[in-house]
Amino acid sequence: MLAGRRFLLAHRWQTLLAILGVALGVAIVVAVDLANSSARHAFEASMDAVGGRASHHIVGSPTGLPGETYTALRRELGISRAAPVVDGLAVLGDETVQLIGIDPFAEAAFRPALAGSRQADLNTFLTGPGALLAARTAARLGLTPGDTVTVAVQGLPRELRLTGTLTGDADVDGLLWVDVATAQALLARGNRLDRIDLRIDDAATLARLRDWLPAGLRLVPAEARGNAQREMTRAFEINLSAMSLLAVVVGGFLIYNTMTFSVLRRRPVLGIYRMLGVERRQIVRVILLETGLLAVVGILLGLVLGVVLAEVLLGLVVQTINDLYFQLTLGEVRTSPASLATGAGLGLMAALAAGLPAALEAGRTAPITTQRRSELESGIAGRLPRLGAGGLLLIGIGYAAAHYPSRALLPGFAALFLVILGAALIAPALLQLVTRLTGPLLDRLLPGIGHLAARDTGAGLSRTGVAVAALGIAVSATIGVGLMTGSFRISVSSWLDQTLQGDMYVTAPAGASARAGGTLPPALVAALRDLPGIASASSGRSITLDADFGPVETLVIDMAPESYRGFRLLTEADGGAWAAFDTGQAVLVSEPLAYHRQLAAGDTLHLHTEQGPAAFRVAGIFQDYGSDRGMLVMRRGLYDARWDDPGIGTVGLYLEATADLEAVAEQVRARLAEYPDQALLRLTREIRERSLAIFDRTFAVTDVLRLLVIGIAFVGILSALLAMQLERRRDHATLRALGVTPWELWRLVALQAGLIAVSALLVAAPLGLAMSQLLIDVINLRAFGWRLHLSLDPAVFAEATLLALAAALLASIAPAWRIARTPPAEALREE
Amino acid sequence: MSVRPVSVVLLALGVLLLAACHPAGDDEGRMRASDLLGGEPDAGFARAREPRPFRFPADHGPHPDYQTEWWYLTGNLSDTEGGRYGFQVTFFRFALAPEVADDAPWRTRDVWMAHVALTDTRNARHHAAERFARGAAGLAGARAAPLAVWLDDWRFTADPDHPGRWRLALDAGDFALSLALTPKKPVVLQGEHGLSQKSAEPGNASYYYSLTRIAATGELRIGDRPAVVDGLAWLDREWSTSALAADQAGWDWFALQLDDGRELMYYRLRLADGGTDPASAGSLVAPDGRYRTLSAGAVRLEPLRHWQTWDGRRYPVEWRLHLQPGDETWRIRPVLDDQEMDLSVRYWEGAVDVLDAAGREIGRGYVELAGYD
Repeated sequence: MLAGRRFLLAHRWQTLLAILGVALGVAIVVAVDLANSSARHAFEASMDAVGGRASHHIVGSPTGLPGETYTALRRELGISRAAPVVDGLAVLGDETVQLIGIDPFAEAAFRPALAGSRQADLNTFLTGPGALLAARTAARLGLTPGDTVTVAVQGLPRELRLTGTLTGDADVDGLLWVDVATAQALLARGNRLDRIDLRIDDAATLARLRDWLPAGLRLVPAEARGNAQREMTRAFEINLSAMSLLAVVVGGFLIYNTMTFSVLRRRPVLGIYRMLGVERRQIVRVILLETGLLAVVGILLGLVLGVVLAEVLLGLVVQTINDLYFQLTLGEVRTSPASLATGAGLGLMAALAAGLPAALEAGRTAPITTQRRSELESGIAGRLPRLGAGGLLLIGIGYAAAHYPSRALLPGFAALFLVILGAALIAPALLQLVTRLTGPLLDRLLPGIGHLAARDTGAGLSRTGVAVAALGIAVSATIGVGLMTGSFRISVSSWLDQTLQGDMYVTAPAGASARAGGTLPPALVAALRDLPGIASASSGRSITLDADFGPVETLVIDMAPESYRGFRLLTEADGGAWAAFDTGQAVLVSEPLAYHRQLAAGDTLHLHTEQGPAAFRVAGIFQDYGSDRGMLVMRRGLYDARWDDPGIGTVGLYLEATADLEAVAEQVRARLAEYPDQALLRLTREIRERSLAIFDRTFAVTDVLRLLVIGIAFVGILSALLAMQLERRRDHATLRALGVTPWELWRLVALQAGLIAVSALLVAAPLGLAMSQLLIDVINLRAFGWRLHLSLDPAVFAEATLLALAAALLASIAPAWRIARTPPAEALREE
Repeated sequence: MSVRPVSVVLLALGVLLLAACHPAGDDEGRMRASDLLGGEPDAGFARAREPRPFRFPADHGPHPDYQTEWWYLTGNLSDTEGGRYGFQVTFFRFALAPEVADDAPWRTRDVWMAHVALTDTRNARHHAAERFARGAAGLAGARAAPLAVWLDDWRFTADPDHPGRWRLALDAGDFALSLALTPKKPVVLQGEHGLSQKSAEPGNASYYYSLTRIAATGELRIGDRPAVVDGLAWLDREWSTSALAADQAGWDWFALQLDDGRELMYYRLRLADGGTDPASAGSLVAPDGRYRTLSAGAVRLEPLRHWQTWDGRRYPVEWRLHLQPGDETWRIRPVLDDQEMDLSVRYWEGAVDVLDAAGREIGRGYVELAGYD
């Protein structure tokens, strides 16, 4: 133990790097988990605050249900534990918040969390009109009760009086509470509600209620709500978690490196111990204990780092959720003990697993005087074929597992990890091959030194092999994820080109509802169609309908002749998709929806219409990257027959061949000026750019994680090189004494680093390619339901090469500097 | 009582409504009934300053120009098996403001509160419940013809099948009540032709009329026990804008129906110093429906016994009442001591027996004790 401590202290750089490796690995796991769980917690808290203690909800069409239903419920059915809710979106400052209209007189049974509002001035709340905010939101925005709050709803600014702030369980960010009448007025809902909350526990009342409910309205249990949203972000969370696991694996290599090094250096001492009667098992235990200690220090550091890093990630995670899924507001990371424990546990497990080979190696030390290091290296060299074969086997198993028919995401990731692990096992053999092959070549290029570099690198396989594996995995992640995002971007971009057939689009500002997009003034829609220079126009309405399997995003479309080209149909029902779509009771289904709900062209799905459930045929499946939960497209006429919702959210304008885009755009702008804040003009080019910008933003988290993994790999190379240089000190000193200059020595070290980098690249390139293929064909498909075309962007490989070489060269600077600084005589004297 | 009455109610309601599971005993946000009527009036509301012509059935309906209004039904009922019950059903309307911001369909100008109670003498239990609602979207409201006053499914309405008859129906979960009500005497205009002065200051008054003898038949339910009942009810109607004066602490109100066909209404306005405000008044209705008003000096009240709530409030539940015209002395005895309305507004409202000097029961009635701490 004492020897161990002395060793670890004497080689503090080595030790520090190992600690850093563990710390970074743990930090990333903790940060990702904290960010995910904070987002999830914010979502749950907001669901709880908004949903309250309801046992059931009455819901209607996407535009809600008539307010009279609620009145009748109380007056005719005598159900008094019922509360009306109007649920919309508003912009407060620069944040989108959920605007919730409640009836304070009906709240008692539902949202006791609102009890925090002790100073609530009900008179102003009802007539002011007033609003309530979470105390934290008010504090963040610098508002106190009595202040005027300006919110924008559908682009229009409105003033409310802040009548109180909410504390306790109601202190949930991102919720703006108003009276139900205020919400109806702000959101222009007329006498409509979004849902009715109920607290009913006896079956008889429920049955009575079901019988009574008018057609088109449904009674749903409270638990069902929120499940759809929870499900939405699940795939996204799993993807991030998988990335963070990769960081732990790479960090594990560092532990392995350090402990192996430490055992090697102490072989003589260990041999003496064995002679003195210390048992094999005791030595194994001591080494594992050392590893554990190292790990604990790293883990503690990692936990702190993780909490800090989580702040950064949280912003990115929330941004992505807001871009892709639903509105979520939260300001701070919620440090959950479970996340910290997960990170610590994983770190310890990885560290012990990585330290085990070294411990076993130490246990094998024969109870004789000294053993030569070369014996170990030859032992490793002897094991290379077995390692390589094992690696190939793992890759084989991983591939087979990945292509085993399944829709589950986790096994997909498990398969991916098997392939990565397999590649890591092959890495040392690959390095050996490289050093053997390049030895003569290098010798010719750099006489003397080149040969030495290759020989040294090849001979120090116990360490260099690990460095190659670590760097290889990190770089392959860059390549794999890079190729995947690149392919994704190209697919999305070409899909945008196809989808955006119009020359320009007029859209309503972000909707006032989470379920229904905003709508344009009808007069404006009519005026736009009649503008000179417009050949034709399409119109769309975004709405969330309820299918038998849950809520489904729907685009209600009135097609222009040109619109048809905007859909790339993947499969069509018998008789053609368009024939069915244009005339029958049929809809188009996006690829992700078809994947998630296992729908094929010609199948039937059921939607809850305002007249009750109705069956719709799937006319065809089209390519779409707009929503990973999937989308339904319905003909306007069909929608109008089933739903009373004439609103139009988007108008696509198709210009006459001779029309000038700018001139028409000017005319459109002039029209829009008559409806300030109620409509936006977007040229197709702008939409395209904006969409791609959102796409890029979505992958910002991934990029951050990727860079962090590379960072750990960099630490790995540095650690391996340092170890090698320490071991070769005498040799280097001899070289110096023989007249080799520090510069030449640096070149030697750099060359060794370069060999590691090249070998790592040889591992990384095929592994990266395999990863991207698995990410696209297995992970993306299972997580999101869409297929992408793999496109091999040479830039990704070039970038990876640069990254590996730069990392290797950078890592060689410190060891080289050390060698150069040590006077040769001193280094020779040391041993 | 320096706070505007409606805002006091709303403050109390705000806390209570938003705070659902308020532990009983937390008095923050609760109030005395007398708080409802005190304070500075809002200039936008009409005030009761002078007598006005009463027209029926129009005046059975709402008077939105005034800030506060109520429909107050009380009565004593008996079932066929010797059971005896008291009931109180009150619909209160409080206007938040003379005008509202917009015409959103659910925007409300009025807050409605309903208090219902049933006293079960045989089991010595007093059941009470309250509800609130906005006066919009049809959730609560009132109209004159045909008469309808409602909050949710608690309602007081004209009986469409029997002109001249009303129906009272409510289900509070633990108990329910459904009665057919037939007035047996004409309207009694209280005070000066219906202008009921509450203090010396002009405007500190309400418009007040009563229907003092209403035949009531129907059924009720307590828990899962139904009962067929009949008896006598009393309707008080009042509307005003800030009626009480600053030095008034509360009131004791008596509505007694005597077996000989007479009814007595008397309210004593208590001053903060314990004295009786000279504005205290009442009326004595003869069997034929003719009535005379009573001034403060015509009735002398003497508390005989106090009952104390679990948290120390003391209500004078038993009284000796001396009526000067005719020199009659009655004892007013509650059928149950604990008839406190322990709701967001706290007061005692209970069924009573009227006994003569010899201790014989000569009538029944209802008593309201407001403004006790």
